[in-house]
Amino acid sequence: MIEHLMDVFTYPPIQRAAIACVLCGASCSLLSVFVVLMKMPLIGVSMSHAAFAGAVLGMLIGVNPFLSGFVMCLAAAGALGPLSDRTDLAPENVLGILFSFLMGIAFLGMGILTRTKAGVLNLMWGSLLTLSGCDVTILAVVTGVLVLFVIVFFKEIHAVLFNRRLARASGVPERMIYYALLFLTGAVVSANLATVGGLLIFALLVQPGATALQLTYNMKHFFLISAASGIGACASGLVISYIFDLPSGASVVLMATVIFAMAYIFSPKRRMAKLKKRNGAP
Amino acid sequence: MNEQLITLDGITVRKTGTVLLDSVSLTVARGELVGVIGPNGAGKTTLLNVIAGFERFEGVLSLFGQRETHRRSRETRLRVGYVPQSFPVDPAFPILAWEAVMTGAIGRTGLFRSPGRHRRQEAMALMETMRLSHLAARPLGQLSGGERQKVSLARAIIQRPDILLMDEPTANLDIAVQKEVLDLIDEIHRKEGLTVLFVTHDFTMLPSAMGRAVLLCQGRMLFDGDIDKALSGETLTRLFRYPLETFRRKGRRFISYD
Repeated sequence: MIEHLMDVFTYPPIQRAAIACVLCGASCSLLSVFVVLMKMPLIGVSMSHAAFAGAVLGMLIGVNPFLSGFVMCLAAAGALGPLSDRTDLAPENVLGILFSFLMGIAFLGMGILTRTKAGVLNLMWGSLLTLSGCDVTILAVVTGVLVLFVIVFFKEIHAVLFNRRLARASGVPERMIYYALLFLTGAVVSANLATVGGLLIFALLVQPGATALQLTYNMKHFFLISAASGIGACASGLVISYIFDLPSGASVVLMATVIFAMAYIFSPKRRMAKLKKRNGAP
Repeated sequence: MNEQLITLDGITVRKTGTVLLDSVSLTVARGELVGVIGPNGAGKTTLLNVIAGFERFEGVLSLFGQRETHRRSRETRLRVGYVPQSFPVDPAFPILAWEAVMTGAIGRTGLFRSPGRHRRQEAMALMETMRLSHLAARPLGQLSGGERQKVSLARAIIQRPDILLMDEPTANLDIAVQKEVLDLIDEIHRKEGLTVLFVTHDFTMLPSAMGRAVLLCQGRMLFDGDIDKALSGETLTRLFRYPLETFRRKGRRFISYD
């Protein structure tokens, strides 16, 4: 079995799929820390619908749907921060409004579109085995920028995730960090559309962070556990999908859920909280 | 004459058609501990938010002799510390008490620089001085309200500000913890010589160093002067529009009403 798997990995499309899978796991799970700690789970699904709407518009005006999807995703990310800051609306409400607005645009475009809709639908479901070298390169660049951003601005990110207002009061450029995180979310989502697709990114943007939340109080470990669980889910999901001939995206998401369930069951934080409750601590 | 650190001239804040602050003027000199007192909705927090740079406003605000808007330079932000009303923290959030204190020093450290071991030692030393060292390694979300508020105070102090803005720092705390926090504020004010603006609606529990109070009602300034005059039955009756009397016993202020 292992020999057979090794043989399969000699084919370039499979190699590209494997690399893309690891990059997808790493990028989504790093962002997942931000999504979970800022309590913005809707952001993934909103961004993927922005890409979807962009792709439909692209097809309508004759532009590459992946390019127009990418641009729309970045535009939505760029609009989210100022919209929630200037209008006194909670970011999750802005996300809800943005999500439904973009979905409306996407379906309106789908209704007008007379050509085949397969290109657009690919963005929703992804297709690991048809990835081009260019797709993987874009994903690698976006993941690299994200990793660099987390390393360079780690202390600022920690302060902003803890409390935006206090971070601002302490002289941290919180708006720059927050907007950059939103922008990177847009970039990661759109770069990953071709791999796992818009619908499944939602799961990868939430589950690795939720897994880490069960296991540690240390922010550095939090990022590492989140990345490890995201990459683990992607790699194991891909192998399982090959062995049992299952859809790869669904296998990845199910593996992420299994990893989260294990972390929840064996969570030392939950056990500590239970013990404290039993001992009557405040 | 003492240097004026905060000057507000005709500050007005409007939001969605409502006037939250109506032409408020105020000056605060270096080293003063001023109470901002008023009923709910009086505009106390809005006033603090204007000075902290969280709120857009009309009128003139000067800090350290420089005219400011709600947009601030990093240098000005560093000189104004802020202690919020107790705020909720997810019990699972990955931050320990000493790390929460350290977040106050991140602005000072600056971008592209590591806080290093000396900043951690500084945080630990400060926590030791504030009798918080036993909490240092505990997750912030698992501390009690009072403990979290003391950590919040330490977070603001490590920023080494000239002005400290405190928004109801003793709200929702039991009396014993309120007293501990107030004593800590008195101690910090005395040792660091900070200029403090202390917002509260509870005028029975105030830092003993508070010599002056500003009374706000419906966005307007009703009184600015000596704390004893501010908290006289006559002034409070005007403030709350309800007949009130105050008396002191063993240094504490009590209120009586029908």
